[in-house]
Amino acid sequence: MENQNFDDRPDPDRLLAGLEPEPGNPVGRLKIFFGYAAGVGKTYAMLDEARELYQCGVDVVIGYIEPHTRAETTHLAEGLPRIPPKTISYRNMALHEFDLDTALLRKPQLILVDELAHTNAEGVRNRKRYQDIEELLNAGIDVFTTVNVQHIESLNDIVENITKIKVQETVPDAIFERADKIKLVDVEPDELLRRFEEGKVYKQEQAERARRNFFVMENLRLLREIALRKAADRIGYDNQAERRTAEKMVSTRFLVCIGPSPSSARCIRWAARAAEAFHAQWSALYVETPDSEYFTKEQQSVLRTNMDLAAKLGAEIVTISGTDVVISTAEYARLSGITNIVVGKSRRHSLLQKLFQEDFEDRLIGLLPSIEVHIVPDLPARHAPGAHERRRQREQLRITPADTLKALAILLVSTLLSFLLRKLNLGDQNIIMVYILSVLVISRATQGYLYGVVSSVLSVLLFNFLFVEPLYTFTALQPGYTVTFLIMLFVALITSALTIRIKTEARLAVQKEHRTEVLYEINKHLLTTRGLENIVRLTNGTLVTLFERSVVFYTQIPVEETNGTVFVAPDDVDETVLHSPDEKAVAHWVFINQKRAGSGTDTLMGANAFYMPLLSQGRVLAVWGISCKKNELDHNSRLFLRMIASQVAMALERQRLSDEQRTILLESEREKMRGNLLRAISHDIRTPLASISGASAAILENKETLSAETKERLIANVQDESQWLIRMVENLLSVTRLDENAANLKKLPEAAEEVVADAVGRIHKRFPARVVEVTVPEEFLEVPMDGTLIAQVLINLLENAVKFSPEHAPVEVSLQREGNDAVFEVSDHGKGVAPDELPALFSGMRSHGEPSADSSRGMGIGLSICKTIVSAHGGGISVKNRPEGGAVFRFTLPLNES
Amino acid sequence: MEIQPLVLLIEDDASISAFIMAILTANQYRALRAVSGREGLTLASSNAPDVILLDLGLPDMDGVEVLREIRAQSKTPVVIVSARGLERDKVAALDLGADDYIVKPFGTAELLARIRTALRHSPKSMGSEPLGLASKVIGELNIDYQKRIVTLRGEVLHLTPNEYKLLAMLSVNAGKVLTHDTLIREVWGLYGNDSHTLRVNMANLRRKIEENPGSPRYILTEMGVGYRMAEE
Repeated sequence: MENQNFDDRPDPDRLLAGLEPEPGNPVGRLKIFFGYAAGVGKTYAMLDEARELYQCGVDVVIGYIEPHTRAETTHLAEGLPRIPPKTISYRNMALHEFDLDTALLRKPQLILVDELAHTNAEGVRNRKRYQDIEELLNAGIDVFTTVNVQHIESLNDIVENITKIKVQETVPDAIFERADKIKLVDVEPDELLRRFEEGKVYKQEQAERARRNFFVMENLRLLREIALRKAADRIGYDNQAERRTAEKMVSTRFLVCIGPSPSSARCIRWAARAAEAFHAQWSALYVETPDSEYFTKEQQSVLRTNMDLAAKLGAEIVTISGTDVVISTAEYARLSGITNIVVGKSRRHSLLQKLFQEDFEDRLIGLLPSIEVHIVPDLPARHAPGAHERRRQREQLRITPADTLKALAILLVSTLLSFLLRKLNLGDQNIIMVYILSVLVISRATQGYLYGVVSSVLSVLLFNFLFVEPLYTFTALQPGYTVTFLIMLFVALITSALTIRIKTEARLAVQKEHRTEVLYEINKHLLTTRGLENIVRLTNGTLVTLFERSVVFYTQIPVEETNGTVFVAPDDVDETVLHSPDEKAVAHWVFINQKRAGSGTDTLMGANAFYMPLLSQGRVLAVWGISCKKNELDHNSRLFLRMIASQVAMALERQRLSDEQRTILLESEREKMRGNLLRAISHDIRTPLASISGASAAILENKETLSAETKERLIANVQDESQWLIRMVENLLSVTRLDENAANLKKLPEAAEEVVADAVGRIHKRFPARVVEVTVPEEFLEVPMDGTLIAQVLINLLENAVKFSPEHAPVEVSLQREGNDAVFEVSDHGKGVAPDELPALFSGMRSHGEPSADSSRGMGIGLSICKTIVSAHGGGISVKNRPEGGAVFRFTLPLNES
Repeated sequence: MEIQPLVLLIEDDASISAFIMAILTANQYRALRAVSGREGLTLASSNAPDVILLDLGLPDMDGVEVLREIRAQSKTPVVIVSARGLERDKVAALDLGADDYIVKPFGTAELLARIRTALRHSPKSMGSEPLGLASKVIGELNIDYQKRIVTLRGEVLHLTPNEYKLLAMLSVNAGKVLTHDTLIREVWGLYGNDSHTLRVNMANLRRKIEENPGSPRYILTEMGVGYRMAEE
């Protein structure tokens, strides 16, 4: 029963994959050999098919085959290449596990991994084998695997009901749905039993146990039916694919209410199956009530397991908070268009409670008459111990010195007041009123029920003892006072209950508000933060203060040298731990697999921290690690982390986009400059080359006829022109140097005067006759720069100054400090710059095609290079004419980096 | 007649070699040429040249590697001939024991000056000079190493101990470039590897000995490499 039309199915994952093509890394295909019990021949069928493919030249490798299999199967496996299993020692036992890393390294076309539902030994990266298989598929390797029906998560409880055996190892339905092909391996139960008798299924010692528990005709028939139905459902599902996508938007929506009780799992599975059958979306709702405060560790962990289960089965997890579960649930259901609600029901309410308290589902139906409510009965055996009930009671009966003092003081005051009233003869009824008031005040002012109840008893006794004849005895307890006592008791109880509720609500509200505020703060800061580093610093700081745990933040895949940014919380692990190779490997895994890992998850749970990816549009932008050395993160913290993560992911995405834009801008700027340069050079370089070539040819061809004087002049020309070319090439070298370093020029602090001296020295060598007057400040100026490039700027400017001024006029260079800038000035006594040349002077373009005088050759390029270099340093360059004649070129460099 | 110094040129480019050889012979040096690192090493060990001119870009092996092998055998002065813009290579070569460097393109006078300096500082010629120089005069600057007194135009300069050490180091090696690292190591010891301190001290020293620190006469800057004391 093979399903042939998988190619036409618009699998959501594949649709997504289609949106985001990864050409180098297509996802592998999964084929599941599906059976209803051990021994139906799944492994045999798998090997048989693999063998056929192997003979056709497919690169098939056996990743792992359970060693207990039958002789025929073992025989079939021979001849196929095999990855030897990894041996893991666990409590002195040598366990054999599938060697995932070798398989990923070997990267065959097809790999066979038996037993999809297997749970790996401790110490292996993933807890479950299906996670191994997901990694293989993500690496583009096709996988064959086997699984039995009782391991499918959503069928788990049904199978348990039939066979009375709890199957611990389950596989989420998602991986079953993900399979491209499901091959049902079927055999008649009679035949299977016969095989079993022959000892082909289990070894002798195991057989007896299995027989008693499992291998009964009745069980096998039922299991077979479930398996057949599951496979048939799968085909039906595929055939309806077209309709399904459209339908999903409008049709049914399931909602399952979950809580910290283990029986919620049953509801979740039921809802998953129902949603699957209706092809509907479904959500799992948890309402956080003030009672959640008193959950035991155990209940918290059950709650987390339930949520994980729901997530695994494909539910959307929703957590809301409210005081009344029914009202909150109804509100949510109404708002999100829920059509069916699944609730669990147990019969543990006492008769009394039944009289006074309406059932959950009755109230729900009352509030939502149009919604269908499905009731899944709770199994009586799994009655949750009322631990949190007890804890809550303990909490409410707590005695503190402060409260005792308060209660006694209030009682004392009311007694004194009563004496006063009696003195004034204002009647007993008022005294009773005073005591009732005191009980009310005590209940309000103290914690829990205890003080209210005790003080109501005390009040009655005090009243009786002090104010009722005969005085100072308890004897005259009249029946009327029983009523008084009861009224007081009720006042105490009701007030206490109200107070407790108000207080917890206030606390929850404060907590919630705090979170909202934190989120708001983060968001506000993120909006104003620019630069990756700042985002990381802000986030890390916030996380450390919020959770009081050390945090590591990776913005790129960690390898050996790259480290994340670590913020260490007081008395928590430091970076030596968080940067250890093991921890980095976890972060690396999270980057690749886009899933949470580390402490408290199913993957690499031995890690010291909990790692989660920050995702945006299917890309991992960063990975967080939050130390779990003290204890694991609870559900609330994770939820909160997720909220923060989405904010930070947004900020990172924004940053990435703006970075990209800047790079593009920079690139185009550089491209423009390069273009200008090339144009200018090709124009400029022709002349000296022509001159060199002409002069040398003239000498070579006319050795005899040329006078010594002429020859000398020609050689001097060659020398001059080649000198010019050399300088030009040096300039070009500067530009390439600038290009290599692109956006972040390598700036080192340099003594500005040394750079000036260097440039002046070179000019002096070139024009020994010229006077260059240098002025440097008494103050030592250290400027971050690329010294060679700035020297080049000065050389270009000086060279221009020398060329454009009369031979005997001095050229001046000065360096000074202006505020936070070092200012370099080169001035000459020439004609200055013509006003119409000014605009295009630094752009590298000659002004409107004007024929250039030979002497100005290279000036355009030189200046445009100067501008590029100075701009890259974050400075500015300008030129102006001096009133007394001559030009002043001036450029500034910032003294310290902002 | 005095024997002329022997210069070994290790350079693969024919036209560069041609003109360097021409300059050398024209200035009465005996010259040898090798076109590869291997050949250069062979010639260096068989001919015991007085100075080696070494191009860093050789076809068969890295120039720095050649230098390392030369230094493993002898203390013959080595002048690096390199292209501009590769400060890091030059510094590496100097720190590995090269005596000086010259940047292409260079003039005849510059090349000859470098060779002369290198010869003067070579162990061979050092052997003839008395150990522990008593004093040195450079221009108007007079350094008395024994009394540790520096005078400029006859006037005594007040230098801090580090400034004196800097000046002494540079003046003893006048004409030779000393890298930043060398100076820091020699003056401040291994641990003071702070180039900022060196620059500040140098600026102060210049303000004491130079008329115009922006156009120094005694201590010249080699951008990105180090400092060189003038020889005049």
